[in-house]
Amino acid sequence: MSAFRDAVLEHFRHPRNRGELASANARADGANALCGDRVRIELLIDRGRIVDARFTADGCAVCIASASVATEWARGRSLDEVSVLDISIVQETLAGAPAPGRERCLSLPLDTLRRAVAAHMAS
Amino acid sequence: MARHLIDWLDSAAPNDAAALATLVSASGSTSKKIGAMMLVGAGGELAGGVTIGGCVDAQVIAAADDIVATGGRRILGVSLDDDEAWEIGLTCGGAVEVLIERITPAGAGGAIATAYRAAHRSLALDSAAAVVRSLDGPAGALTVDEQGGRTGTLGDESLDDAAADIARNALRCGHSTSVALTTTSGEHRVYIDCLVPATTLLIVGAGEIAMALVSFARELGMRTIVVDGRERYASRERFADADEIHVGMPSEIVGGITRTARLAAVLVAHDYKYDLPVLRQLLREPVGYLGLLGSKRRGAAMRDLLRADGFTDAELARIHTPIGLDIGGRHPAEVALSIMAEIVAVRSGKRP
Repeated sequence: MSAFRDAVLEHFRHPRNRGELASANARADGANALCGDRVRIELLIDRGRIVDARFTADGCAVCIASASVATEWARGRSLDEVSVLDISIVQETLAGAPAPGRERCLSLPLDTLRRAVAAHMAS
Repeated sequence: MARHLIDWLDSAAPNDAAALATLVSASGSTSKKIGAMMLVGAGGELAGGVTIGGCVDAQVIAAADDIVATGGRRILGVSLDDDEAWEIGLTCGGAVEVLIERITPAGAGGAIATAYRAAHRSLALDSAAAVVRSLDGPAGALTVDEQGGRTGTLGDESLDDAAADIARNALRCGHSTSVALTTTSGEHRVYIDCLVPATTLLIVGAGEIAMALVSFARELGMRTIVVDGRERYASRERFADADEIHVGMPSEIVGGITRTARLAAVLVAHDYKYDLPVLRQLLREPVGYLGLLGSKRRGAAMRDLLRADGFTDAELARIHTPIGLDIGGRHPAEVALSIMAEIVAVRSGKRP
């Protein structure tokens, strides 16, 4: 639990890929209606591959850390690979799992990333 | 202060008349401050007041009834601690002067209406304006806005110039006042009514405290903006009286709101995920009040996190936390009351 906490706080204090992506051609907003976490994922996709990924969020530390890890993971991936992105990949990077009841904090950025890709493929 | 006048002008027929009573000077202990207004309609209807009530208002109403019927203008002086005042039951001490004028929506008595309509247009554009009236000369009115524009006249060009200069200075502090002026045409005394746009209360976090804040703010004449990321909280059903409700990423929404000294921002989500990004947005902006719900310990922790982001101690000192005056309140409405009290105290210069 301590390793997870340390990893989450490190990403929360020094998030990777935080900020707007002006050149984005795929984008999705996600929200947790109960706790109020809000996240936006923006992607630059070229020839079926994610060239760049950034996020904006007003979220808790777990949500921010998850968005940070997910955007790091997504860079360079093909759109097909995004379909295999699940919570275990983020948990592995963060060296643990959140407390019971906080899983949604971790999964919200991942769902949002998948929706950004789906919206791009549908367009 | 001019809300009753504007309401009357909006609803008056062209031939209607009323008397406008304005508290133009006060000394000693008085129950209302300079700028207080009362409107006395031709049919006896009343709106506003120049004192809390009692004998002074009774005298004003009697004089106003006379002026509505016969026209003209006068200054009613009442000493609150002279023999007459004691006799009629006034024991507060102090003295007031009340300017009473006949007004009409247009025509001969329309100069005041025109001036206040011009000031009201400025207010609608979030710009302060002053209406200047002579206390010892002819009827007339001059409107001066924050940008330096002016309309109307006091009937004397040199007086208009001098009055406009001093009105712009008065607008900087926002307090209505009466002043003596010396111009090439002689000695004059004018009343400057400063009209300042309403304070906007920005509330981040749409919980129970926010609901009470909106109610109090409405009574205090403030505009209210409620922001939250949760639709079930920031709903019109819960905030029927809010001027604006925004659901979304709070820091992004706050980034789109005009930040001026007339904005009071209260962070009552008690959730760092909103507090930190919103504080980052506001700490370097010229907002008039910035308050954060939470204990001293929580406030210190938030300041530490923001200091690590590069904010200075001077910037962090702008955060009022624990928020509100300490009145011992525990329930949401009591906490909201303490917050509103602190905002008013800061706005009036009673608190830093």
